[in-house]
Amino acid sequence: MALAGIPRVHGLSPDWRVPVLAHTTAISAFCLLAFACSGTQKPQSTTRSFGIDDFSDTIRIQARPTRIVSLTPHTTEILFALGAGNRLVGRDMYSHWPDSAARVPNLGQGLRPNIEAVIAAKPDLVLLYASQDNRVATQQLRSAGIATAAFKVDRIEQFDRLTRLLGRIIGDSARAALVADTVKRTLDSVRAKTQSLPRVAVVLPTWDRPLIVIGGGSFMSQLVTIAGGHNIYDSIPAPSPAVTLEDVVRRNPDAVLVGPERAAIIRGSPQWRTLPAVRRGRVLVIDTSVTLRPAVRLGEGAVSLARLLHPELAR
Amino acid sequence: MPTGRWLFLLFALVLAVIAALAIGTIGFGPRESWNAMFGRGDATAVFVVRQLRLPRTVLALLLGAGLGISGAALQGVLRNPLAEPYLLGVSGGAAVGAVLAVTAGLAFALVPLAAFAGAIAAVILALSVAHATRGRGDPRILVMAGVVVGAFANATIMIVMANADASKIRGAVWWMMGSVADASWSQSAWLAAYVLAGGAMLVALGRTLDALALGEDSAAGLGVDVDRATRNIYLTSSLVAAATVAAAGLVGFVGLVVPHIARRLGARGHRALLLASALTGSVLVVLADLVARVALPPAELPLGAVTAVLGVPFFLVTLRRLI
Repeated sequence: MALAGIPRVHGLSPDWRVPVLAHTTAISAFCLLAFACSGTQKPQSTTRSFGIDDFSDTIRIQARPTRIVSLTPHTTEILFALGAGNRLVGRDMYSHWPDSAARVPNLGQGLRPNIEAVIAAKPDLVLLYASQDNRVATQQLRSAGIATAAFKVDRIEQFDRLTRLLGRIIGDSARAALVADTVKRTLDSVRAKTQSLPRVAVVLPTWDRPLIVIGGGSFMSQLVTIAGGHNIYDSIPAPSPAVTLEDVVRRNPDAVLVGPERAAIIRGSPQWRTLPAVRRGRVLVIDTSVTLRPAVRLGEGAVSLARLLHPELAR
Repeated sequence: MPTGRWLFLLFALVLAVIAALAIGTIGFGPRESWNAMFGRGDATAVFVVRQLRLPRTVLALLLGAGLGISGAALQGVLRNPLAEPYLLGVSGGAAVGAVLAVTAGLAFALVPLAAFAGAIAAVILALSVAHATRGRGDPRILVMAGVVVGAFANATIMIVMANADASKIRGAVWWMMGSVADASWSQSAWLAAYVLAGGAMLVALGRTLDALALGEDSAAGLGVDVDRATRNIYLTSSLVAAATVAAAGLVGFVGLVVPHIARRLGARGHRALLLASALTGSVLVVLADLVARVALPPAELPLGAVTAVLGVPFFLVTLRRLI
């Protein structure tokens, strides 16, 4: 099933073994260098600043946090990819990936988390989603003397920035650069391959009653563009706007992109059959395991979408 | 009410507060919690007890007192055992304010202000509807006006929410389910001011409430300006309810059920009833918040639902004894 022209995702197998050796060397060299330079300096204070997070708060953390609570699936995924999964002492209930995340204690909701449960994990850093729902939690944790960093991850660029920042925080910028660059390279090469192909206009419904679709604010819309498609709701800035089926029919997409369980519903629904694409059988099933969120598997997501939209690429 | 019953209520409140401070997701031993309350021992324990549990317990206590006293006064002035702060548009108006603030993307700190403004607007609207029908002092017209304003508010909320995006709807729904999780000392201070001032005013009007309970004509015969008294009591109790809603969202059922429990405990006359309702409300909400925190860890239940779940059995028992 090799996809001609589109490279395999470099070194992003779920167990992350591939890249380890390469940059262990880099890290050792870096450490040696750092050690050599620091010889003349006095030991500095243990807290360092890492710029501001998406709540506009300064991220002030011990040089090497060793007990991290990750309350978003993105950060959990990225930390495992950076080889820092063993520093996690808590996660939110939706952090299911990679499989080893299941071994990290589940602290419940990531939005409006249970502060007592988080404090009980004795973390030195808590990573949260930068939603208004988490404002108070962040203040409470900070006043308990626990470092926090809150991020919004709705776009591909935000993933890139977050990965590099987490790399600096855990003290492994080299590996973070490797992960971020790998994803970037994969996305670039998919984009290059699909650039000359005709765009496939698609709609991405995520919910019915009310009908909610992916809008331009979501990374999925970006991913569809990279994969040689065009989201008919790309011009709506919201990530998940509610629309009417009539409007979908008016915009007349070439295909419907959906997850497996919704595909059956749409194929069997008399209303959806108003859409020519559905009558022609153009209900394409996305591999939701790789396109669920803008994180480490973005590259795989783009590859799988491109394969779906442009099967001719595989030939 | 016999002194014994008062002492029982006070004792129950003290016990509820101690339990709320000592019990939580993190299990501290009794000695550890006790020390933590006075700032001794493990820093984490001190923070959890004094910075997390204490502010929300204090807010829950004030919330219960405010809702209890407001409900008792409204049931008295409207001569309607089903009257409660939320029946009369306060909650609806506050919810419209809060939902508009949330969906407009205003800072969360502004939501309570918007809720308060919405509640006040709804109360004024209900009063002017009653006024327009020349029924200012007629409790039936006031109830109708409140219900209609509430229905209008509900419709507005649905229209706003239908087009809001998912994350904002979640924020708005969370607010409507009521919670003291975000309690801060400044919130408690504000609420305390409203509950104390409003409560004192209502207690001072206790005799007037007693007279009104005899019916409009008898009250007028006793020298009460029925229209004015009705309007003052209605406004004051709505103001107290609006302050509670601004502080903690919608916590239903307390205002309805607590006065009945207080009556069942033997509170006769409105002064005693108002004070007993404040105490009973405090006990109920402090316990409800404790249950909300520890029932399904690490999740937290909506306070408004827990107050109803705890309040209904009490209510049914009192109802059975009444019949």
